[in-house]
Amino acid sequence: MDDKAIDYYKGIGFMCGLEIHQRLDTASKLFCGCSTNPENDVEYAHVDRQQRAVAGELGAIDPSARFEESRQRVFRYKVYRNSSCLVDIDEEPPHEINQDALSIALSIARAFGMPIFDELQPMRKEVVDGSDPSAFQRTVLIGRGGKIAIDGVPVDITDMSLEEESSGIINTENNVITYDTSRLGIPLVEIDTGPDIPTPEFAKKAALYIGTVLRLSGRVKRGIGTIRQDVNVSIKGGARVEIKGLQDLDFMDKYIENEVLRQQNLLKIVDVLKARNASVMEIADLSQLFASTSVGIIKRGMENGGATMGFGLKGFKGALGTEVLPGRRLGTEISDYAKMAGVGGIIHSDEDLNKYGFSAAELEGVRKALNISETDSFILIAAEKARCQKAIGIARDRALQAISGVPLETRAAVNDQTYTTKFLRPLPGGSRMYPETDIKPIKITPNALASAEKSAPRLDQEVSALSKDLKDAQLANTLILSGKLPLYKAIAAGTSVDRRFIASVLLQKMTELRRKGYAVDLIRDEDIIAVFQRYDGGTVTKQAIEEVIKALSEGHTDIDKIIADGSLRRISGKALKDLVSSFSKTVQSSSKDDLRNRIMAKYRLVIDGEELNRII
Amino acid sequence: MYGNKIMDYFKANGISVGDKVRISYNGASIEGELMPSTEYNDPDVLIIKLKNGYNIGIGFSKVKLEKLESPNIPIEFPKVDLTEQKDLPRISMIYTGGTIGSRIDYKTGGVYMLTKPEELLFDVPEVSKIANIDIEPLFSIASEDMSYLEWQKIAEDAANALNKGAKGVVITHGTDTMHYTSAALSFMLQDLNAPVVLTGSQRSSDRGSSDAFMNLICSVYAAARSDIAEVGVCMHSTSSDDECAYIRGTKARKMHTSRRDAFRAINGKPLAFIGKDGRIRYNSQYRKVQAGSKEVHAQTKFEPRVAIVKAYPDSEPDIIDFYMGKKYRGIIIEGTGLGHAPVSTSHQEYLWLPKIKEAADSGMVIGVTSQCIYGRVNSRVYRNLRLMSSAGAVYCEDMTPETAYVKLGWLLGNYDAAKAKELMPVNIVGEIGTRSEYDDFTDEEE
Repeated sequence: MDDKAIDYYKGIGFMCGLEIHQRLDTASKLFCGCSTNPENDVEYAHVDRQQRAVAGELGAIDPSARFEESRQRVFRYKVYRNSSCLVDIDEEPPHEINQDALSIALSIARAFGMPIFDELQPMRKEVVDGSDPSAFQRTVLIGRGGKIAIDGVPVDITDMSLEEESSGIINTENNVITYDTSRLGIPLVEIDTGPDIPTPEFAKKAALYIGTVLRLSGRVKRGIGTIRQDVNVSIKGGARVEIKGLQDLDFMDKYIENEVLRQQNLLKIVDVLKARNASVMEIADLSQLFASTSVGIIKRGMENGGATMGFGLKGFKGALGTEVLPGRRLGTEISDYAKMAGVGGIIHSDEDLNKYGFSAAELEGVRKALNISETDSFILIAAEKARCQKAIGIARDRALQAISGVPLETRAAVNDQTYTTKFLRPLPGGSRMYPETDIKPIKITPNALASAEKSAPRLDQEVSALSKDLKDAQLANTLILSGKLPLYKAIAAGTSVDRRFIASVLLQKMTELRRKGYAVDLIRDEDIIAVFQRYDGGTVTKQAIEEVIKALSEGHTDIDKIIADGSLRRISGKALKDLVSSFSKTVQSSSKDDLRNRIMAKYRLVIDGEELNRII
Repeated sequence: MYGNKIMDYFKANGISVGDKVRISYNGASIEGELMPSTEYNDPDVLIIKLKNGYNIGIGFSKVKLEKLESPNIPIEFPKVDLTEQKDLPRISMIYTGGTIGSRIDYKTGGVYMLTKPEELLFDVPEVSKIANIDIEPLFSIASEDMSYLEWQKIAEDAANALNKGAKGVVITHGTDTMHYTSAALSFMLQDLNAPVVLTGSQRSSDRGSSDAFMNLICSVYAAARSDIAEVGVCMHSTSSDDECAYIRGTKARKMHTSRRDAFRAINGKPLAFIGKDGRIRYNSQYRKVQAGSKEVHAQTKFEPRVAIVKAYPDSEPDIIDFYMGKKYRGIIIEGTGLGHAPVSTSHQEYLWLPKIKEAADSGMVIGVTSQCIYGRVNSRVYRNLRLMSSAGAVYCEDMTPETAYVKLGWLLGNYDAAKAKELMPVNIVGEIGTRSEYDDFTDEEE
């Protein structure tokens, strides 16, 4: 590891931990008999529900629960023929826990060296964003205190739980959020590391490592959305922020670096505002002032009895326009909060106000009404009245936090090559778990433990076996962390192709093609295996493998057709002899080498060089 | 429940459930809060709540347990404003128990009954903006444990509240037998001139998705604003949270074990749909509140020696002997189809006809309903029906078995057997409809 990086991150009080969610490959869901393969299922009904924040332990209501309730939204749950039932839409109590899922979870826990509890206690974890029709997620802690070492660096696997997948969001329209219940309740394991990951780069490595162990179990789902890696990040003086929705592990380090940068920038703003003794003023209704405005954005918001509200920010001039991430300013952060109340956004005075078409009199009026001067800032929102009121309140709360520090947040990765994140919701607090009384506690028997021990995937053993196989420890390590190990094994088992060659295609060749823009990650494993089988059987040459893979990445699926269409069939034996003799008759060559080179230049993809050498 | 070994250790070391504790084992130590053990837990396993909220179970024999501190934090509910608002109607809310009147203890998972008004309304503070609500926790009984003795108390309470000026009454009740109670109140509350609304919930109110919130809101609207002078069940009309159906007390039936729209109008339609915004959409004929009529009279006498008996293939009629022996005064037969019991079988042991005749002749009232639930029974279509009718059984038209049961108990409590028999097939409070409409069965909700 890069010592300089380690020292730097230590110096800024960097704390980072991972939460890995991996779906298990079982036939049915965790607490009902529905299918866990929702693809192409048919929707046949939907229900509309509302949820409330209910008191947690000691009567306290979770802040994120209160926030969600304040949005007064309708949740629409779509119901699917084979993959959702009454249990999923909170109309039937859960069935017994899926024993298959439980045994997979136990063996994964053992793979991380984690002691398993004697009796597991199913819990309800309150969920407030509507993604679960019951308003909670069923979860059971399997064990804690596991330990692994990655490149010699110890990493704590603090907790592992077995829980229900949430439902997927389909869309948000006005106040209605539509969810897909087909994936709800698919068993997944959540694996948490300690907060001691030393650098962003190492976080990526740890995520790869854990993902590899999971795949080694052979009992986890593959494909898009079946594994999710959330990252928790904070720095000294900042706050814990959870980043969700990282689609590509390759860029995890960039998102983490950006979150560090964002917290550093927010802290700089805090320093500036504190030095200026900045403050946030009370909210004022400015509807009168804009009753006959020609500012389009305000006019539209004021239609049908809408309102314009605002508040002043003393000493904020320039702060709202300060970038906290590339392309994102403090104003953007506040705007994202306000949007949660269903408004389009905010107008703030660090923006170019001319583009909105405010008149000088209007701006003067706003400053007067809000009791602020030129060196202060303001924020305005125009929208339907109740929504406007809610949004301006939320915006003001966020503006207040800008003076004190970094808010605790859950943020969503923006998957647009900028590696930035945007506010999703406040970070849930702690008091939101209570026993799931509809399910009995689960006694872990010695038999269950023994079989978990036996079936636990062992990465260390894999590494040493693979090192022997490849005669290269470094290559073995890289292959294992790449996630391609199961594919490698399948190819090695089904062909007699040189092992190092398999590894080089899977690692170097595929990476090279991906960088060139070929969608190699979309190719099915069985197709890759088939390519190697064709090579092994003499149908194609080594060189043609790349061409076949390219065609597969472009969506072609019939390998034999790819070979035929691309004229990639290997020429060998008598056909090759004939070709050599006819070639040497038509083309003058100075030597055997020259003849060979000329033939190869023309037939590189379909002739095996060694065979050609023998013939010549 | 913790076993003796653990309890003895607790006692010896002054440890009790709720304490902050540390357990050490395998060289590691875990801190958390000591939770109670339930009947499902292993008695030799300690249940600890970790700081992250999870509960875990660890075998007592292999750990060292120490107490750290005994916190004493009572559960406190934020107060709900119950001050009188002059422009709002006054209603009465009677809590009788059930899921809607209970709350899960967040730590232990145990269910406890709510008793204080501010707790009961905590989850739905907005109902206090619909009406001034007098809250009376009458009892905390799960609906499967209800009996006619409770129906009598509820009827008296509701009558009292109305006679003291309440515009309507909301009764929260467990759902399982709510339709028995609603039928009983329908007969017991004579000269009723106000809405009496039973409501409950299928999901407990500790979960954010509970149906209790909307059911309560709609029921309060129904009691405060509707002009329905009938007892009704007001629960979710569909699985969605948009409106409740107000179903006549004698026509309601719980038709699903777990869905929130479990209650359906049987052989009839909901009287009205009550939106969560207070919008009332009247849907079928009902008795309207009249200006200046007399007091409600709770006529609560009830004969509990009435049984429901199901006729099915291979069912032996000796059950009738059993009830005759216990001096029962009435039996409701839940027959097959149009109201059949085996009456012409060549297998003597399954022949019901002589027993029915014997019971009827002895003065017992034998009512016949159908296990089809939907539709009307008939005593004439088949010879076997005519035989039962001639033996003295009385056919109960389109009443559900449960309503017929309650009606017979109430009639026998207030009249002699002959009169009761005469009134069974006669409509008194809307329990019998004279017409069966096509969409009472095919599409009863829309």
